[in-house]
Amino acid sequence: MASRGAQRTRLGSGGSHEGFLRHRGYRWAKAALLLSLAAGVAYAMADVQPRHNGGSWLGYTLGTIGALLILWLTMLGLRKRAMTRGRWSLKGWTSAHVYLGLSLVVVATLHTGFQLGLNVHTLAYALMMLVIVSGLYGIAVYATLPDALSSNSAETTRPQMIDAVVKLDQQLQIAAQPLSSDDAAIVRLSLEEDPFRAGLVRRLAGNHSNCRNARALKLMRATEAGADAARVVDLLESKSVALARIRRHLRIRALLEVWLYVHVPLTFATIAALAAHIVSVFFYW
Amino acid sequence: MAFVLRTVSHSAGGREIVRTARVEGDRLTIGRDPACDVHLTDLAVALRHAEVTRSGPGRLDLQASPGLTVELDGRKASAGTIDLATGGDIRIASHALRFMPAAADADVDIAVERVTEGERGELARADERRFSLVSVMPGKRPLAWLLAALVLAIFFAWPVWTILDRQEEPAAERFHPDRMWLSGSLSQVHAGLEDNCAACHAEPFVAVRDESCQSCHVRVHDHANQARLARARPGLDGWGRFRLAVQETFGLTPGRCVDCHTEHEGPQEMAPTPQRFCADCHSGMQERLGDTRLGDASDFGRAHPEFQPSVLIRWDGETPVMQRVSLGARPHENSNLRFPHALHLSRDGGAAQMGRRLRGQYGFGDSLVCADCHVPTPDGTRFQPVDMEGDCAMCHSLAFDRVGGTVRTLRHGSPEQVVADLREYFRGHPPARPSVLGGGARRRPGDIMQIRSTMQYTLALAGSGAAAERAIRAVFSPRGACYDCHQVQAPPPGSLAFRIRPVAFPTRYMHNGWFDHRPHQQAECATCHAAERSQSANDLLLPGIETCRTCHGGESSGDVPSTCAMCHDYHEDEGVPAMLLRQRVRGRRWETTLIPVPAQTGGRR
Repeated sequence: MASRGAQRTRLGSGGSHEGFLRHRGYRWAKAALLLSLAAGVAYAMADVQPRHNGGSWLGYTLGTIGALLILWLTMLGLRKRAMTRGRWSLKGWTSAHVYLGLSLVVVATLHTGFQLGLNVHTLAYALMMLVIVSGLYGIAVYATLPDALSSNSAETTRPQMIDAVVKLDQQLQIAAQPLSSDDAAIVRLSLEEDPFRAGLVRRLAGNHSNCRNARALKLMRATEAGADAARVVDLLESKSVALARIRRHLRIRALLEVWLYVHVPLTFATIAALAAHIVSVFFYW
Repeated sequence: MAFVLRTVSHSAGGREIVRTARVEGDRLTIGRDPACDVHLTDLAVALRHAEVTRSGPGRLDLQASPGLTVELDGRKASAGTIDLATGGDIRIASHALRFMPAAADADVDIAVERVTEGERGELARADERRFSLVSVMPGKRPLAWLLAALVLAIFFAWPVWTILDRQEEPAAERFHPDRMWLSGSLSQVHAGLEDNCAACHAEPFVAVRDESCQSCHVRVHDHANQARLARARPGLDGWGRFRLAVQETFGLTPGRCVDCHTEHEGPQEMAPTPQRFCADCHSGMQERLGDTRLGDASDFGRAHPEFQPSVLIRWDGETPVMQRVSLGARPHENSNLRFPHALHLSRDGGAAQMGRRLRGQYGFGDSLVCADCHVPTPDGTRFQPVDMEGDCAMCHSLAFDRVGGTVRTLRHGSPEQVVADLREYFRGHPPARPSVLGGGARRRPGDIMQIRSTMQYTLALAGSGAAAERAIRAVFSPRGACYDCHQVQAPPPGSLAFRIRPVAFPTRYMHNGWFDHRPHQQAECATCHAAERSQSANDLLLPGIETCRTCHGGESSGDVPSTCAMCHDYHEDEGVPAMLLRQRVRGRRWETTLIPVPAQTGGRR
């Protein structure tokens, strides 16, 4: 126990936290590596004539392992709803999901015998690879983006971010009262801006060139309306900063979440293609 | 006369708060300007947006500032009137002004209320869930089900539907969705079947059966008796038994055509069956199949028995007895012919001299070569049996008489006729004129010169009565024309019924293996056939396996890698092995004879 304690203190900034990637000394990474190596050795040793394919004994074996793995990996979707600890903790499960999912690249590719074509079999393979690639992306963003997220928020909570804009809007509203109708219309432009209205593409791209607040700011600076307008310009500028923070947050969140919109639906498409693949093989047995 | 303004607002708890103000006079200004009587803070409201004036008893005039509108009783208008008897509603931006019905000259009650949130709408209500993509994306689950259903519909339901439907539309040229199931293109020969999966996959969920292959390949026969085949298979180890059990569980019975002839390997030539499929059974087969006469073989370069040609080992009366004998046993051939190859191929012996003399007539070289006597078959594969008249008589003349310009020859192959011809000759030619035959300038072995000298000798001895008989005996005796090449059976005492032992040559020595001389033409005959050193016709001049191995290795060795299929054929036994034929058809091999011997019927052996 003493040594374990020492180990924990050495984790430093992470404290006692151990991510799913390093779960239990890379236990599942080792298991996945072993599986991949075994598949590779079997592939190299097996005498399959005239060339490797999914229909040899090795092909069927690798295919069966791959299919079962895919189904088990999909179970994470159910399993994650129950957060538990211990040997089969959710973290352990996730670790296994990641590493065994990666080993599927080796198992499934060797199953194909590198024979790909325009057919349902390659469709299943391609969909599976897309799922894995999206998963890899997910791991990458989970490893890097949460830091960016917290540094962006700079100790403010998300409701506080919204609140900042709402408060600025209220101040704008008051500050704009003396303005003429035309200038008031410009301010209203800013008040209509809803940063959350941005869709997937704009969130991901971080492109907000049509931001109404920005437009209002530009127009407002152009007017020569004296102190009232100057006050409004100040507020619009402050709002720009507050909006930018929200948008950075939106962008990071979108980058963090978008892969699941590929990963999950394509997983189901993979399972459907897998079913078609298997049944078609037996149909024309 | 006044306007009474009741400004309604709501507390956080939803409670209504009403503030009342009174505006004296007949004029009511409405706008964002705090100086207006009705001060509306909505920025959509102009500083001075509209004016309401009492223009008569019970009547209010509404006039919006130039270029602006208000909503009067639900309609947009820049000006209008309100009848106080019925009241009216004015809507400006997010604010509503309700003019209550009143007596013509009473105070006008106006309820002012903010009815919508106006510009302070959505953002104030935004909660942190809107940071997540969930708020702008369709749900993952509907997306997942949609994609899955789409894949199943296109790649499963559609093909199955058309397969079940196909009976009614047999030769349709439309797209066959089961092409999407094609695991790999068919080989070139079967490419035409790619739109007709059912040609081989006759029944759903039933493995491809031999009947499907045999519906086109009608002449292919089995390799051997199925029971013997089964016994010849190598004993299965645990892993093999397990695999077999799994295969049989899934309906893959062993021994089907497709076990060896795999398909869907891409649009190339059908992959040649690997040697392993032969070697599996043929190595160690003697142990498993005790009564087989076939030696164990697994690779031509490493493990193949010595050739066992079918040799004419002896005669049973007039019938030649052929027997397969290993070349290792140095078998002798008994063709009943005397023929020393060495003598004929010698560069300076009598045969060479004879050849040079007859050069102008027959095109011989400085000495005789194999091709002077041996004639290949039209396809070039083998050689025709040696024929006396065609291949030997150029030198070995049987001429004995000349009538005018015509040379009479003894009849080859018919000793009785020889005897009769010679008797007739002596009857017609008195012994006093022996020189009538002296015109021939050539002297040939076995020539009539011998006969003539014998005749002269016998004449000299006297008695012309016995001359014919002596001449006949001389022909059939040592140094006689027949005796030089043939085995002569002496007649019973007092008879002249000499007999010649029949002669036979095998036209093909190896019936279970294929050898084609044509691809080997660039080599000298002597490279393989040691004819120059052969002193006896009994020498079997077939080369042994070691001679072949100088060039031919096993499946993956030697100058010429040679699988079993180069010489042996699994299904056919007589003609060119299918592999060589295929290579010829594909332009990869030009030398091979392309005349397959048609198999007569299925099920030989």
